[in-house]
Parts: sequence; C-alpha cells; structure tokens
Amino acid sequence: MPRSVTVLVGTKKGAYRFKSGASRERWRMVGQDFAGEPVYHVAFDPRDGQTLFAAINATWGGPRIEVSRDLGASWKTAKNPAFRAGSPLTFSRTWHIEPGHASDPGVVWCGTEPAALFRSEDHGMTWEGVSGLNDHPERTHWSPGGGGLGLHSIAIDAADRRSMMIGISAAGVYESTDGGLTWASANKGSKAVLPAKGDASDLGRCVHHLVAHPAVAGARFQQNHVGVYFSAGNGWRNVTKGLPGDYGFAAAIHPRDPGTAYVFPLEFPMRMNGVAGGVYRTTDGGKRWTRQARGLPPGGRYEVMREGLATDRFDPAGVYFGTASGELWGSADAGRSWSRIAEHLPPILSVGTATV
Amino acid sequence: MPRVTVRLHGAFRGFAGGARSAVVEASDVAGALAGLVSTHPALAERLRDEHGRLRQHVQLFANAEDVRHAAGERTPLCDGDTLEVVPAVSGGRDA
Repeated sequence: MPRSVTVLVGTKKGAYRFKSGASRERWRMVGQDFAGEPVYHVAFDPRDGQTLFAAINATWGGPRIEVSRDLGASWKTAKNPAFRAGSPLTFSRTWHIEPGHASDPGVVWCGTEPAALFRSEDHGMTWEGVSGLNDHPERTHWSPGGGGLGLHSIAIDAADRRSMMIGISAAGVYESTDGGLTWASANKGSKAVLPAKGDASDLGRCVHHLVAHPAVAGARFQQNHVGVYFSAGNGWRNVTKGLPGDYGFAAAIHPRDPGTAYVFPLEFPMRMNGVAGGVYRTTDGGKRWTRQARGLPPGGRYEVMREGLATDRFDPAGVYFGTASGELWGSADAGRSWSRIAEHLPPILSVGTATV
Repeated sequence: MPRVTVRLHGAFRGFAGGARSAVVEASDVAGALAGLVSTHPALAERLRDEHGRLRQHVQLFANAEDVRHAAGERTPLCDGDTLEVVPAVSGGRDA
C-alpha cells in the first residue's frame, strides 16, 4: 500500500514538490529546484519508485534534462537529446518525459521541439533519436501550433511494450506497434483544425494532451483543439458532448477505471475557464460529464496548461491541477471536492504525482 | 601559447560548479572556450547546441569588447587577456 504522494510541479520559474500522507489533507513543500528556470515537466518513474526526470528549458544554458535517482534530493544533468550532424533541426525544448514500459527497466522516452521522439536506455542520462518517427515522410505536413511544433505527449500501452502513441501539435497522433521502429498516423475519428487533404488527410489534428491508462491495455484519452476523445480500438470516439466547450489542454485518466477521466475546459481564445468552470469528470467513458467545482472559488477564472492535470494512485484517487496564476489544487475524493494546496507560485506549467 | 583568463558570470557559474574563472591557453576566443569546456565539461552543452553553434544568450567580451564587433570567435587573444562569458538578456522591441 502506498503511504504518501508527492505532487511534482513544474513552473515558469523552477520546480516544486509538495508531499502528503494517504489522507492528503495536510501538505508541506519538500523541495524547490531549478530556481528561475522554466520547467515544462517533472515525471516520476513508478518502476523503481525513486527516479524523477525534469525537463528544463532555460534561456541561459539552453534546454536540458535533469535526472534524480533519490526523489529529488539530488539531480544529475543528462546529455542532451541531439539531432544528428547535418540535420536542419536543433533541439530547443523538452515537452514531456515518459518512463518506458514496466518490462523495459531503464528505458525512458522524451518528446521535444522541434517535434521529435528520443529514447534512453540508461534512465534518461543519454538519448538516441527515434528515426522512424523523426524522419517520417509525412513530416513535411506537420505545422506548428500556437506553442510551437512540439511532441508533447507519449502514451505507452499498459500491456504491450511495443504499442505506443505520441501526440504532436499540429500534426496529430502517431502510433507504433513495434516498439517505435515504424509509425503511422492514428487520427481516425478526431477532428482536424488545419487543412487535411490528400496524403495528409489523416493529419492537421492539433492534439493538446494524450494519455494512456497506466493499467488497462488499449485505453487512451485525449483533449485536442476541438474535442475530447476516448480511443475506440480502430479510431477515436468523440465524447465532447456534455462539456461546456470543445477546447482545453489538460487531460487525465483515473488510475484504475479506464472509463473515468478528467478535463479542464477552457474558452477560446481567452484560454481560461468560463462561468461554469472547473474540472469536468466522466465515469462512464464520456457518455456524461459532471462539473466538479466544490471548494473552488465561485467565478474563479483559471488557465490550466496541457501538463497541468494529474491523478495519483490512491483509492479513492487524488486529482490535482495547477494554474497559470500559480495555484495548486487537490482533491482526495476522485475529484468531487477541492482544496488549495499552494498559492502564489510562479505560473504552473505541469503537475505530476509520485505515489510511493 | 598565450595564457588567458576566462571569467564566468551569472548562470554559467552554476553550470561550472560555482567556478568564477578559469585560466586557459588559447590564441583566440574559440580556443579559450574550448579550454574552458575542457576544464568544466558540464559547460559544453550550456554554451553550444548539438551543431556546435554558440547559444543565443551567450555574450562574449574580449578585454571588455563585444566579440561580435571584432572577429567573433576568431578574435585573437594575447597573454594576459580576459574573456568574459556573460548570460545575455533580450526582449522588448524597438520604439
């Protein structure tokens, strides 16, 4: 049984860690790292229960990845992901770091800008480009979204170590069923936001965040620019009906129930929630959505970024979101009610959890 | 070979384990940076991208002169010279 959860917060100016016991009633800040540097993502490796990865995209010193093997007590700088000599591409940001499948200890994946996937076999200390995706012939059809041309989502299947999906803005979802050697677009059923014709008819999707269920094979969930979708085997099932709108960035899935998922709808182009704002939850695979705002300030307007919503592994599950206004909120009852864990933080870019 | 002092400022000190300066043997700015990285390998990827290009926010001053107004990384250095490595600030726009 896990005894504690640490919420891993990446902000525009550093990373923060907040820890609580199983009740998740009282929180204390247990770490503050990378002061002043933009941290796009902090990821926990549940395979060993002690490794953290941080994606730092600094003005001074450039982008880098830091790895901790002791839950943040100390950090080591990894060798940067790098495009090969002669490539017109230059590594400029890390968007997401994802521990590999449970049967692949030491394997870690990261998504970068320009959009590319890199693989590590040594717990994130060195990286190799995944040429099957990075040199994909459809690359010429990929166009940058508002945040750039980034690969920001990596969804590894819970059962099949060779099955994975990634999300690129604005190209869409790509899938590999051979461990990353070959890739094909996988956007059937999801709406395009850019012209998608001819050879590129399956592209033009601006996926905002894509997650795989950590325990259930084949379960995927995504928020894209114009809709919310569950995977449906051969394509995507639009489950946007019942939400206040189709736009948003953050998406999270329940740690056990693949039909329970969370989004934080935003109004376009303001990128803040509307009057009926807050976290929305479905418990039936998207047939119905329920606003979960108990405890949130009435009329509060928040922006939650693509990595800004996460669940823990407790039962009942904890749900957490961080805002661009520097507030961190948590729910210890699967999203029914909320309390503020921290405020007056820098703008929050990512929220993750380490349930130990 | 001329002996040159390379002084680190701001964030670059942190990447070099807190070092404020290093004395290296070099006849130009590029050589001084190579010597600096040899002394502090962690600076390699903080100063240059994977294609060897100097990162955008690295500002270099040879004896207080911006090397962009001289010969860039080919700016010659003499014994006793100083190279400052400064984290540059950018932003705003022309009025």
